Parts: sequence; C-alpha cells; structure tokens
Amino acid sequence: MGSPSSELTVVRLPEAVALHARPAGAFVRAAAAFDATIEVRANGRQANAKSILEVLGLGADGGTELAISASGDDAAAAVAGLAELVAGLA
Amino acid sequence: MVFDIVEYEAMTSETGNGVVGLVIVSHSAAIASGLAELVAQVAGPDVPIVAAGGGPDGTLGTDGGRVLAAMHAADVGSGAVILVDLGSSVLSVRAALAELPVDVAAGFVLADAPLVEGAVAAGVTASTGASLAEVAGAAEEARGIAKL
Repeated sequence: MGSPSSELTVVRLPEAVALHARPAGAFVRAAAAFDATIEVRANGRQANAKSILEVLGLGADGGTELAISASGDDAAAAVAGLAELVAGLA
Repeated sequence: MVFDIVEYEAMTSETGNGVVGLVIVSHSAAIASGLAELVAQVAGPDVPIVAAGGGPDGTLGTDGGRVLAAMHAADVGSGAVILVDLGSSVLSVRAALAELPVDVAAGFVLADAPLVEGAVAAGVTASTGASLAEVAGAAEEARGIAKL
C-alpha cells in the first residue's frame, strides 16, 4: 500500500459560472466519487467538497479562485478531476 | 412551473434507476413545488422528487392521501426520504406510513431536518447513488450546518 498523498491545486471558476445550484451539484457529485478527503477554499471560507450545503456556503461567484486540496490514496486524481470539472463549467 | 404528482410519475418511470427518491411535504403547494424545482436543479435529473403540498381542497394544509401517493411515486426501488415543513405535516406522513404494510413502510425514512437545506443535501446525496440511510443522514446533518 502506498502512503496516502496530499495534493493541492488552484483553479479559477469561469467568469460566467457561479458555484451555485447545478454547477455546485455537479462539483459535489464528482467529489463524492473519490475516497480522498477533499476541501475547497474560496473567499476566505472552507468547505468539505462532498457537502453541498458547505459548498453553496462558499458564495463563489464567477471568476473566483478555488483552492482544492485532497488527502488520501486518490488525492491526485481528485484534485485533477475537480479542477478539470471547474474549468469546464458552463 | 407547477410540479404535480402525475408529472413526476412519468419522470420516474422513465428514469427507473433505483436512486433514492425524495418527498417534499409542506402546508403550501407553492412551497413544495418550488422546493422540488430548486432541488431538481441542484441534484440533476436522476433523482425522483415529488411535491406533496397543500390540503385536500387546495387550501393551506396537509393531506395524508396526497402524501401517500407522492411516496409511491418517489420510490423507484430504493426507497424515499420524506422531508416536512411544520407540525401536522409530521402527522400526515405518519398517517400515510400507517396505511402501508410494515415491509413497505420500511422503504421510507421521515427525516428530522430543516426543509430547504435538508432537501438540497438529500437530493445531491441521492444523486450520487447513496443508500436510503445515507440520504436520510445527509438531510439530518443539515441541522448542524451554519447558514452564516
């Protein structure tokens, strides 16, 4: 067994997409597919990426930088996958 | 846009994917249908969400028969979590559950949760393919999440 890794990446929301409603649901659904513990920070707030209420509570509008960090065996795949999802939101 | 039970029956028979469903019970038909619309947008199209709002004659109130029909519509094989607004909504759900055989009633969980936050959390959790207990747990965890 490899030791669990920690990963961090920063990704900017597309200007026209806030992390609300449908995009927030898509983000949380994607996060839930990973075993890693995943946190997302924006606007000085921190949320469990697998909690829709915490993610909505970030109040992340379009253009906001999200810092996504993960720890666990699939941490690298989690941050890469979520960063790609965020960048591709429309 | 008004969400009614007939519309959702059509939707669930189409999706039929075994995802846990939601029943939203409110004294107000507008609250129930509006919340169903909101949750559907966050949770996506795969979660059966059925509104059961208002009394038998279309006034403010709750109706055990309407709740029972909504429960049947929301359960597409993996059960359903029921969210309620206030007071007698709980009594209407309990009346509906009492109409069912014990093994069928076991497919439903009445969540002790705030209505809006609980429904959003439950809907998104259901959309991940989570179990009945996990979906109910997500609704009840909403009690502890600060709004500010």
